[in-house]
Amino acid sequence: MYRYDDIDRQMLADRAAEFRDQCARRLAGDLTEDQFKPLRLMNGLYLQLHAYMLRVAIPYGALNAAQLRALAHVARTYDRGYGHFTTRTNLQFHWIKLRDAPDILDELAAVGLHAIQTSGNCIRNLTADPHAGATADEVDDPRIWAEAIRQWSTFHPEFSFLPRKFKIAVTGSPNDRAAIRVYDIGLRLHRDADGALAFQVLVGGGLGRAPHLGSMIRESLPVRHLLSYLQSILRVYNRHGRRDNPNKARIKILVAALGPAEFARQVEAEWALTDHAAIDLPDTELARIRAGFAATAFETLPAASAAFDSARAGSRAFARFARNNVLPHKRGGYALVNVSLKAIGETPGDCSAEQMEVIADLAERYSMNEARVTYEQNLLLPHVRLDDVPAVREALAAAGLATPNITLISDIIACPGLDYCALANARAIGIAQDIARRFADPDRAETIGELKIKISGCINACGHHHVGHIGILGVDKKGEEFYQLTLGGSAAEDAEVGKILGPALPAVRVAEAVDQLVDVYLRERQDGERFLDTYRRTGLEPFKEAVYVPTHQA
Amino acid sequence: MKALTANRLIDGEVVFWTGAGWSERFADSVLFDGDPAAAEAAEAHAKSQPTLLIDPYLIEVAAVEGGCAPVSYRERLRALGPTNRPVDGKQAAGGADIAILAQAHGAARSKGRVDLIRRK
Repeated sequence: MYRYDDIDRQMLADRAAEFRDQCARRLAGDLTEDQFKPLRLMNGLYLQLHAYMLRVAIPYGALNAAQLRALAHVARTYDRGYGHFTTRTNLQFHWIKLRDAPDILDELAAVGLHAIQTSGNCIRNLTADPHAGATADEVDDPRIWAEAIRQWSTFHPEFSFLPRKFKIAVTGSPNDRAAIRVYDIGLRLHRDADGALAFQVLVGGGLGRAPHLGSMIRESLPVRHLLSYLQSILRVYNRHGRRDNPNKARIKILVAALGPAEFARQVEAEWALTDHAAIDLPDTELARIRAGFAATAFETLPAASAAFDSARAGSRAFARFARNNVLPHKRGGYALVNVSLKAIGETPGDCSAEQMEVIADLAERYSMNEARVTYEQNLLLPHVRLDDVPAVREALAAAGLATPNITLISDIIACPGLDYCALANARAIGIAQDIARRFADPDRAETIGELKIKISGCINACGHHHVGHIGILGVDKKGEEFYQLTLGGSAAEDAEVGKILGPALPAVRVAEAVDQLVDVYLRERQDGERFLDTYRRTGLEPFKEAVYVPTHQA
Repeated sequence: MKALTANRLIDGEVVFWTGAGWSERFADSVLFDGDPAAAEAAEAHAKSQPTLLIDPYLIEVAAVEGGCAPVSYRERLRALGPTNRPVDGKQAAGGADIAILAQAHGAARSKGRVDLIRRK
């Protein structure tokens, strides 16, 4: 895993010291709240409903054991003993005190963590495929490029005051596990016609009030030109993005207004004027970063593992875990092990200090000191020997982290919602808990198969509801919590924005409605179809009838 | 009726104006009933304490069974804590006043601090 160098470490220490001074000046009255607020936000510190919230950046979702232990220590010492992993693969602490924030940033900096690029109209923390470096289906490790972008974009003076926030996701695989179509810029590594490594560049995706899927503006960008091309995109956006209306300030609005072809033309024109060599990453620097992600010492192992196979044969619980949470690795004898933060009835994405420490221990002992955060609010141990999976599963199960539900109906994305967030209109967590409890039977969940439910407590769509197979949006209807359902969304390589099912439902009806939707699917599905496939074949009508007709007849 | 609320600068805690100081419990709130001038004066006084408070604002309060409660659901959540973790927030302390808030029904549109956040 990439290690920050002396420059990075000094930068984080300086940043923490600067924030300590800013906090002291605010508390002494030397800074007004209007002056201080942008400074605290640039350090990830928001004021939410009950307290301050600190959003810690986890670049491309990669954590090592020391970092997990530091997060656990912060949770236990300064918060209420837990943190919340988000759809941006960040970690949020919900009960932070301003007076503690400087000490927390010091503790985080000591392990190479920080809250930079977690707020403000800058290039935000990078996300990437959580399977990076472990999956056989990637052409290159996206973390290398995400790290290069991180170094280039951090405190970039030209792009610190963009019209609006700006998010970039990178994948090296045709199978999209990073939701790149709903990012301001989505980058997909592939081989061009000549076999050279290239980026497919997608621009203008995003959720929120006006959901858009990114449009491809460049099929094959030679990878060496990544930074100069990103600069050109950002320059066009910085020049023409709307600053008069925050609701229309994201790049998706500009790309939609100009049309992707005209936007691409302007980017190419800007790029033609750019001194590429002055901006692009030198080969030596790329090699240095690449070395930081060099495959750790994988052993040469037999493809099959007697220990794994016998555990699978001997235990239904292990077999179920293996079916749903364990994925093949690029190296024989290894596996990716998903750690579910979706125990039935718990808060999606929440992780206690004790759980963080368990995962730290497992990462250190069994996964080459690496853990990953997925945008679906789970964790992942990327490099576990098949022989060790039974021991890993046992330790996870003892900590409540082995729910065998990855990609199943109870693996629900939910934003913090009105329980914590100052912007939310309705709760999201309670709805997720209701649905998960309703589908707690693991046999039934497996019968239903892949079904991605995503819940947001407001139109800002942190819970990705637009791209849920079933999306649920909390709305405020005359002050009451109501929920609007959408069907047919996807954040994967077959990305699509879902369609609204019908009028919003009261909270007590939502889990029942999901059950009705599932019944239609089970009735209508044909061989091997997922919920999404059946919906795409049948359209909205049979689902709509099931949810609304009984209510009207009642 | 109105009450005056804010978050405390140093720790972000939700606080309510008691008429003489700031309390963490809604039940200690002074209620402004039919005296908008007094409510506005209290709000202005709060805004003059920028090293103590963030974003003071007035909230609607109504009589409910057993006492009074904020009309909006968002404000009742602020006065109680998150529903997914009853052990966190003000609700953890328990007591009759918490029970009154928790049992209060009905909801009303409230943007809380949303307008304050957007204005800045």
